[in-house]
Amino acid sequence: MKVKKYITLLKAGVIESVQFRLSLFIMIVGNMLYLILIYYLWNAIYASAGTDKVNNMTFSDTLIYLVLATAIFNFMEMYAVWEIGRDIQSGKMALNLIKPMEYRSYLFWSYTGGLVTNFVATFLPTFIVIRIVTKDTIPLGLNLLYFLVSVLMAVEINYSIDFMVGTICLFTESIWGINIMKQVVVLLLSGATIPIAFFPETLKTVVYLLPFQAIYNTPLTILLGKESFENVVMMLGVQLFWCLFLGIASRVFWNISVKQITVNGG
Amino acid sequence: MTNSISKKRGLGFYLHIYRMIVIQDIKSKMSYRSDFIISTVGMIATNVTGFISFWILFRNFPSISGWGYYEMLFLYGFSLISLTPVQCLFDNNWSLRQNVFSGDFIKYYFRPINIFFYYQSEIFDVKGLGQLAFGIGTLVYAWAKLGIPVTVLAVVELVVFLITASLIMIALQNAAAATCFWINNSFYVLDLAYKFRDYAKYPITIFGPVFKFVFTFLIPIAFIAYYPSLVILRPDEIPVLTWLSPVIGLIFFGLSYKFWMLGVRKYNGTGS
Repeated sequence: MKVKKYITLLKAGVIESVQFRLSLFIMIVGNMLYLILIYYLWNAIYASAGTDKVNNMTFSDTLIYLVLATAIFNFMEMYAVWEIGRDIQSGKMALNLIKPMEYRSYLFWSYTGGLVTNFVATFLPTFIVIRIVTKDTIPLGLNLLYFLVSVLMAVEINYSIDFMVGTICLFTESIWGINIMKQVVVLLLSGATIPIAFFPETLKTVVYLLPFQAIYNTPLTILLGKESFENVVMMLGVQLFWCLFLGIASRVFWNISVKQITVNGG
Repeated sequence: MTNSISKKRGLGFYLHIYRMIVIQDIKSKMSYRSDFIISTVGMIATNVTGFISFWILFRNFPSISGWGYYEMLFLYGFSLISLTPVQCLFDNNWSLRQNVFSGDFIKYYFRPINIFFYYQSEIFDVKGLGQLAFGIGTLVYAWAKLGIPVTVLAVVELVVFLITASLIMIALQNAAAATCFWINNSFYVLDLAYKFRDYAKYPITIFGPVFKFVFTFLIPIAFIAYYPSLVILRPDEIPVLTWLSPVIGLIFFGLSYKFWMLGVRKYNGTGS
C-alpha cells in the first residue's frame, strides 16, 4: 500500500481549509457563543440543585465534559453524509468510483486535512482555555496519551457510522432527513448533549451497549482522569471492538450497495 | 424597480400568487415521496430528542433558576411553534448562496413582482408542519399540567405573540442568508444563525447581565419564546419588553428585509 497518496490528500485538505479564513473565524465565534450558553445554563442548573456534586459530577466536571464534547464534535464532524449524498445526486459518484482508490478511503483521507487544521485551530485552544478556567481539574499525565489514542478511534467510529448512513442515501436519495436523524441520535446517545452519568439507569445500560458512547463519552471520561488503569484499558478495548466491527460493516454494506446504484449522468 | 409596481397591488393579489407558486412546489416535492417521509420523520426525531434531553435533565434537577419542568416545556413548545414559519415559508434562504454563486439568481430580477416575495414563495417546506404539531402538543400538555386557566384573552394574546415572535428568527435568517451577496462561504453564517434556535428555549434570566443584553437587543433571540411566553406563564410580573416584543419583531423583520434588498441591488450576476 502506498502511503504517499494518503499524505497528498491530507496536505490538500489542510491547504483547502486554511484558505477559508473567514469561515474559520465565524466557526470560532459560533463555538464561543455556544460555550457561553453551556456555561450559563449549567451554572444555573447547579445553582438550583443546591449540592456540589450530582451523579458524582461537579460543575467543573460537567463543564469540561460538555465543552470538550463540543470541541471534539467541531473538529470531528466531517459532514460525510452530505458529501456522499451530493456525489450521488450530482452524478459525481461515477467519477469517484473509477478512481484508483477505494471510495471509502478516498473520502476519509480527503477529510483528514480538515481534521488536523480543526484540531489545532479549535480543539487545542478550547482545551487550554477550559483547563485554565477550571483551575487544573484536568490532570496532565498519561491520560493525555490515552485520550489521543481514544480520539483517533473515535474519529474512525464516527466516520464509519457516517459512511454507513451515507450509503443508505444510495437507496433513499434523501439526504437532509437521514442526516438530521443520524445527528440527533448520535449527539444524544453519545453523551454530547447531556453527560451519560446523568442518564437514568436503564437508559444508561442500553447506551453502553451501543457504539455512540465510544465517540464522545469514552475519550472524555478518559481525559478527566478519574478512571483506574484497568477501566481505561477496558474502555479502549470496547472502542477498538467498535472500530473494527463498524469499519468492516461499513465496507461490506458499501460493497453490496454500490452494485445496485444508478448514477444520474455525471 | 420592483417596489413601484408592487405598491399598486393588494394583499389578495400576493396571496393568490403565493398559492399558485406553492402548489407547484408541493407537486414537485410529491414526486420524491420517500425523501418527504424521511425528512418528516427526521424533523420529528429532532424534536423528540429535544424532549428527551429535557426529561433527563429534570430527572436530576428539580428546577433551573426557578423554572420548573412544565414551565420549561411550555417555553420549548412555544419556541417550536414560533420557529415553524421560518422553517416552512423561508426555507429557500438556504439555497440563496448557491443561486447567487452560480448566477441563477439573476433570473429573479426579471419577474414583475417583489423579488424577496417571489424568491421566498418558491419553496414551502412541508416537514415544518411536523414541528408545528409537536410544538402545539408540547405547549398544550404543559399548559394543562401547569393548571393555568384558559381564557379567550390568553389564547388571543398567545396567538398574536406567537406570530410576532416568529418574525425574529425569520429576520435573523434573512440577514444571515443575505450575507452571501458580500462574502463567499456564507454557509457558516447561516449555520450560526440556525444554531440560535437552540438558545431560544431557555429563560433569558440564566445568562449574566452582559449576555442578557446581547440576547435581548443585539441578537434578539429572547423574543422568540422567553419574553412573549411570560404573558401566560408569569401574568403578575410582565416586563415592558414583553409588550414591546411585537414591535421588536416587526422592526427586526423590516431591517432584515432592507438588508436583503440591499444585497439584491448590489448583486451583479456572474456574467454567464
